Order: sequence, then structure tokens, then C-alpha cells
Amino acid sequence: MQRLGRPVRLLAWGAVAAALMCAVLALASHVVMPKNNQAAFGQIDAAANGVLGERADSLDVLFVGDSETYHSFSPLQMWGERGIASYVCATSAQRLPYTRTLLCRALTRQRPRIVVLETHCIFAGFDEEDEALRALKDLFPVFEYHNRWKSLTLGDITGSVRFTWTDPLKGFTLKSATEVRAADASGYMAPSSELEDLPARNRRVLEDIKAICDAHGAKLVLVSTPSTVNWSMPKHNRMVAVARELGVDYWDLNTGDTKVDIDWQTETCDGGDHLNLSGAQKVSSRMAALLSDTYRMPDHREDDAYSDWDEAYTSYGRQLAALA
Amino acid sequence: MNSYFSIAVIGAFLPAVVLVYALAPRRVRPVVLLAASYLFFWSISGALLVFLLVSTVSVWALGLLLGRLQTRRRGALAVPGCDRKACRRFYRRAMRGVVAAGVILNIGILIALKYLGFFARIAQPLLALIGIAADGPGTLGTIGVPIGISFYTLSAVSYLVDVYREGTAPDRNLGRLALFLAFFPQIMEGPICRYRQSASALWEGRPVVAHNLYRGGMRILWGLAKKLIVADRVNLFVKTVFDAGATYDGGVIALAAVLYTVQLYCDFSGTMDFAVGAGQMFGVELPENFRQPFFSRTAAEFWQRWHITLGSWFRDYVFYPVSLSAPVKRLTGAARRVLGNRMGPLAASGVALAAVWLCNGLWHGAGGQYVLFGLYYFVLIWGGGLMGPVAERFCAAVGIDHNGRAWHAWQRARTLAVVFVGELIFRAPGGTAALAMVARLVGGFTLASFRDGTVLSLGMDAADFAAVGAFCVALFVVGLLRERGTRLFGRMWAAHPVARVTVMVCLALTVVVFGAYGAGYQPVDPMYAQF
Repeated sequence: MQRLGRPVRLLAWGAVAAALMCAVLALASHVVMPKNNQAAFGQIDAAANGVLGERADSLDVLFVGDSETYHSFSPLQMWGERGIASYVCATSAQRLPYTRTLLCRALTRQRPRIVVLETHCIFAGFDEEDEALRALKDLFPVFEYHNRWKSLTLGDITGSVRFTWTDPLKGFTLKSATEVRAADASGYMAPSSELEDLPARNRRVLEDIKAICDAHGAKLVLVSTPSTVNWSMPKHNRMVAVARELGVDYWDLNTGDTKVDIDWQTETCDGGDHLNLSGAQKVSSRMAALLSDTYRMPDHREDDAYSDWDEAYTSYGRQLAALA
Repeated sequence: MNSYFSIAVIGAFLPAVVLVYALAPRRVRPVVLLAASYLFFWSISGALLVFLLVSTVSVWALGLLLGRLQTRRRGALAVPGCDRKACRRFYRRAMRGVVAAGVILNIGILIALKYLGFFARIAQPLLALIGIAADGPGTLGTIGVPIGISFYTLSAVSYLVDVYREGTAPDRNLGRLALFLAFFPQIMEGPICRYRQSASALWEGRPVVAHNLYRGGMRILWGLAKKLIVADRVNLFVKTVFDAGATYDGGVIALAAVLYTVQLYCDFSGTMDFAVGAGQMFGVELPENFRQPFFSRTAAEFWQRWHITLGSWFRDYVFYPVSLSAPVKRLTGAARRVLGNRMGPLAASGVALAAVWLCNGLWHGAGGQYVLFGLYYFVLIWGGGLMGPVAERFCAAVGIDHNGRAWHAWQRARTLAVVFVGELIFRAPGGTAALAMVARLVGGFTLASFRDGTVLSLGMDAADFAAVGAFCVALFVVGLLRERGTRLFGRMWAAHPVARVTVMVCLALTVVVFGAYGAGYQPVDPMYAQF
């Protein structure tokens, strides 16, 4: 008993200090959290977090993933063609733990029927440290927004967090069709029976994302957007296997019946890494058709509750016209 | 776990080791530390652990051999009628052979893994002149360098030499020697411990007590603050300026030199805070590596306060042996006859000093800038020694009070300038770049970039400068208190528990909020781990 006394006492003191630290971190998190989800308020990845400003339970489809996602899927085009209400919660070089975070964040306000996960980020490497830091940031946002000490005001201490803003393009990044850097597509999707390596850590988080979707009544769908730089047959093969094991649908827009014919001389803005507007329009059109025809996503164009989408679409049209 | 200040180490590895160590029976605790140390080493360097094992086993075996030779010598000398002179000579030769074998093996591994490429680069043009085509280091270059090899090799050599000098008894316990060399808080960047400083304490398995946990925790937090608030923040500016070297004006280069010095200090001394703090958690006091170096009045004093354990290693294992070697003794005698009793030995000490600073420069890395760095300090310290008497006479002649505050302030300012230029050379991406930057500093000095705001566009904004400035003031105050003998972290334990915990939580919150991490920042790799 005497021997156990010291460690127990130490643990008790440690627990008290840890509890105090948690309380202080929670308080600090409240102070540094942006009080609105706009970049001007200090919101990180404002476009992706714009989903929080969408009317509650108004979205049927969520797109998650990395830059491939926000360069390929235009929700407003899908709205214009099929009346699908969707949003792109994607960020540059996104790793799966952050995908999970953004998905969970979006699911606090939305009940989408479909969650489309663009598959490029599934292979992106991360380590335990990245995962731990992400968890810490989710638990105590002060770890994410600490740098806001530079611009804190009294309102940050007394105000509450309100999400009122949404991205006018619904998370899509518009790269003009005139932004072109041709790709070398000579080895693109060369036949192969190899399987790309998928780290166990990535697989575990992917399974977690699937479980989160299931728990929220959303169907997870995996989609690979066209890219000569980022996609290959070994990755396709791996995704086919993973989708089968997880029991989810997988659509590869690089090959097979669902292939989208991208002109790699004119429809990529950076040598096959990402699509420009012209490429994105083709992909969005195909995706809208898939969602509508295969998953019976409802058409909200005649729904008065979605009148703001019509306004956004009109504005989007003006933007496209200005670019033309 | 490539940095002590990673989540993996601070958030998981260290707490887990402390917990297992605390719960383990006393006899098992050193084994826990040794296993944790090897796990830590393996997690960074993988199979290169074998080099640490080779060093450990070699100095252990050779130490025992030295001990046996010493015992035999004592036995032989005790025999009546023995030719004591011949006996001593015989055993001295034998023991020197053993030490030489150990030194050649350990330093040889260090040179082979770390410096062969550098020497090959130097040798290639020379060999080409005589028609020999030589490749680089070949396969050795692809093996990699085990973490902390420059540190544990010096500790291993010091153990062997100390056993030879009979300052330390050879250790029969391989585990104790292994833990002394591999103890994880010190393996990456030191301090370079001597066997008698830490080996026994580490192997004792002292209990974990609240006082030490608090002291150690505060020390680690303080080191984390140095690293995250200052070192990682100024990295943005330092990297920007040094990457483009001489394209900036002298004012910007001067600021970069100052900020790099501060960065290096905060990074390295912050890591030492981790090492000492983690040691304290296990009840072990590791030697301090810094003693307020920026309060130094001469370059020589600076090196007695900065990286103390490296300086004292070079003093004991390079400077003294070279100074006391027969050729240098003869040189000293000759110099004494020519230059007098004061200047003669000072002038002759240049040989030993040159050896020390060549080794010091090369120890930091295989690159021309490091050799230049060593040469710079050699000239300053040796020249300072030679000019000392002249300066004294000059001051006396013009009536300057050598013990006055004004003179001390001038000396400190001068030393700081010397240090900043030294670090500029050290950080420059090569010897030529270093000289170009120094030339720009001297020849192109202007404050125009400060007036037009250019300095705020090189990676750090005004708030960043304010954060660094405020923390430097805190560092100065803590340093001043330590200089006057006040140990803040030790004293805090005497305060009320609520005050104690409050201080700790406040310091942790300061690190969390003002640390330079996350979006927009690139943490600097442990700077001394590469040396």
C-alpha cells in the first residue's frame, strides 16, 4: 500500500493539473475561435467550412476530398442541370483525418443522402502525429486558431460563434478554361494488374468515415476524378478492392464505362494535376447524371425553399460569362 | 519521434516511460530506461542502432582491458626488485595501444559515416591533379548517420580516456555503460556527459517524486516555449534571408544574423531544457550546457558558457593533450625564450588552440563554412589572448577603468557583435556564401529596409517581431536571475500548490497560444541533431 501510495498520489495530482489545463484550453478555444466562418474573421479553409452557413438539412450531397475535388465538381452546374443541392467540403492536400473532421463538422448541420469521397486523398500519407494533432485541434480549437492572438478583439472574448456565411460557388474553385498547361498523357492509365499500397492507417480512417456516414444515414460513394498525374491503374485496382470490401459504390471517371473524355491538351490547368473549368464542367455533368439517374437525387429547382440556389446559379452564370 | 518537442515524445513516449519507470521495482528501472532509450534510437535511426551497440561494447571491453592492465601493472610494481621505469613504460605503451584502438574505432566510425563525403570532395581535385580518378564515399554515403553519433561518440571516447587516466574505474556492468551512452533525453543533442557525471545516477533507479516531476515538467515547458515561440517563428525570416544570402542589404543581413543567433540559442538550449528536465523526472541531474552565454565579455568566455560540455570535452581531450605533448612543450620553451614568460606560452598555445578550433568547426559539420567558423574563433580567441596585455596597457594609459560598468558593457556589446558575425558564417550555405554575406554586411550596411518596411515582408510581421521581442525580454530576466544565483523552477516548488499549478498552466497556455506552429509555419528541425 505504501509502495502504491506515491504513484497514486502523483496520478491524482496529474489528473488535477490535466483537468485544469483542459478547462483553460476550452476557455482559450472559445476566445480564439473565429466568431464567423468567413476568412476575414480568421476562418481557416473558409470555402470548405462555408457548408456550415448553408440552411440546415438542405443538402443532399456532400463532396469531400482534396484539391482534385474542388477543381472537378461544380455544385452550381449540377444544380443548373439536375437541381441537385450539393456542397464541396474540400481543401488543398487534404489528409483523411481532416476529411473526417470536415465531414463530422458538416454533419452537425446537414443530413446528406450521399457523401462523395474523391479517392486521391485516400492514398495521401500521414502519421500518428498528424492524426493526434488533428484530434487535438478538434477537441481544443485553440491549437488550430491560436495564431489569431494577433487580431483578437474584445468581441472575441464576449461574442459567440455564428456560422452565417456560405461560399458563393458552394466550395468549387473556378479555374478559367483559358488557364491551360497541357498534360503528357502518354502513360495515363496504362494497363496494370498491380495494386497500389494503401497504408493500414489510411484504411482505418476510411473505415471510420464509412461508419460515420452509416451512422448519419448517408451513403458513401467513392469517386476518382480524371488526373494524369494523380491517378493510375494500380490505384484504380486498389480502390475497386477496397470498395468491394467496404460494400460501397466506386466510380472511376478515368477508365471504363464511366470514363470522362478529357482533352489533356486543353482541359487541365497544370499539366494533368487538376482540371480547368472546361474539364470540371464535363466531370460535373457526368457526376450530376450519376447522382440523378443512379441514386435518384431529388430535383429542387421548383422548390421555393431553394430560391437562394437559383440566385447563386444566376450569379455563377454571370461569372462564367465574364470569363468567356 | 524526430524531435523531442513532437506530440509523440512529449504527449506519449515520455509520459509512458515515466509511468512504467515509476511503477517498476527499483532494480528494473534502469532496464526500463535502457529499453526506452534503444526504442527511441531505433524509432529514428532503425538498424543504425548497431553502430551505437558497437561503440558501447567496444569501450566497455576496452575499458575492462585497461582495468586489467592497470591491475597487472600494480602487481608488477609491487614485486621487489622490479625495474619500475621499464615496467611503467611497458604498461603505458600497452594501455596507450588499447586507448588508441578504441579511439580509432569510434572516431573512425564517426568519420566514415559523417565526414567521408566531405573529405572525398576535398581530395577529388587533388587526386585528379595527379591523374587518379576518385569516386565519392561510395556505399558508405548511403548508410546514413545514426542520430546523435557526434554526441555519444565523444562520451564513449571520454569514458575510455578517463579509464586510461585512472579518473574513472572501468565498469563491469555493460548495462550501466550502455545506458550512460544511450539515455534518450541526451542522445540527440547532448549534453555530452562524462561517465562520473551521470552513469551511476542513471543506473540507481531513483524513484519518481513529485518535486522532480514538477521541476522537470517546468523545465521542459520552458524549453518548449523557447523552441515554439522563438526558434520556429524566426525561422521564417532566417530561412528567407539566408536562402538568398547576399541579395539583401547589410541591415537585413545584420538582423538575420541576430535572429539566427537567437534561434540557435532557443532551439539548442530549449532542447537542453528537455534533456535536463527529463533527466530530473528520473531523478538524474544532467550537466548544464548553457550558462547565460550572452552575458559574456569575451569570445573565450562565451565558449565557456555556450555548449559547455563540448567546450570542456575539447579542453580535456584535445587542448591539454596537445599542450602537454612533447613537440608543443619544446615549442613553448622556445617561445618563452624569444617572447618572454608571458607572451611565449600564449603564442605557443596557438597550436593547441588551432587543433581545438579545427575540431570544433569540423565537429559541427562537414562543410567549408564550419572550418571557417572554427578559424574565425581561433583567430579571435588566440588574438585576444595575445593582445590582452597590450589592451591592458592601453587602457591604463588612457585611464579606462577595467572593472567599471561602462567597460563591461562595451565588452559585452563587442562580444555580441563577434558572436553574431560568427553565427552568420555558421549558418551561411557554404564558405563562399558566408564571405559574401559578411562583405555585404560591412560594405552594404543600410537601414533602408527598416524604414520602408521591407523587413516586415520577409516572413515575420510586426506581431511576430513583438512576440519574439517579448519572449527575449523574459529570457533576459530569467537569465539575469540565474546569473545572480536564483533558480526560478527550483524556488517555485516552495510556493503554494495553487500558485505552482497556476504558473505551470499559464506557461503551457502561453506556449499553446503564442507558439509558431500550424498553418503558415514550418517547424525547424532540431538544429544540433544534425551535427
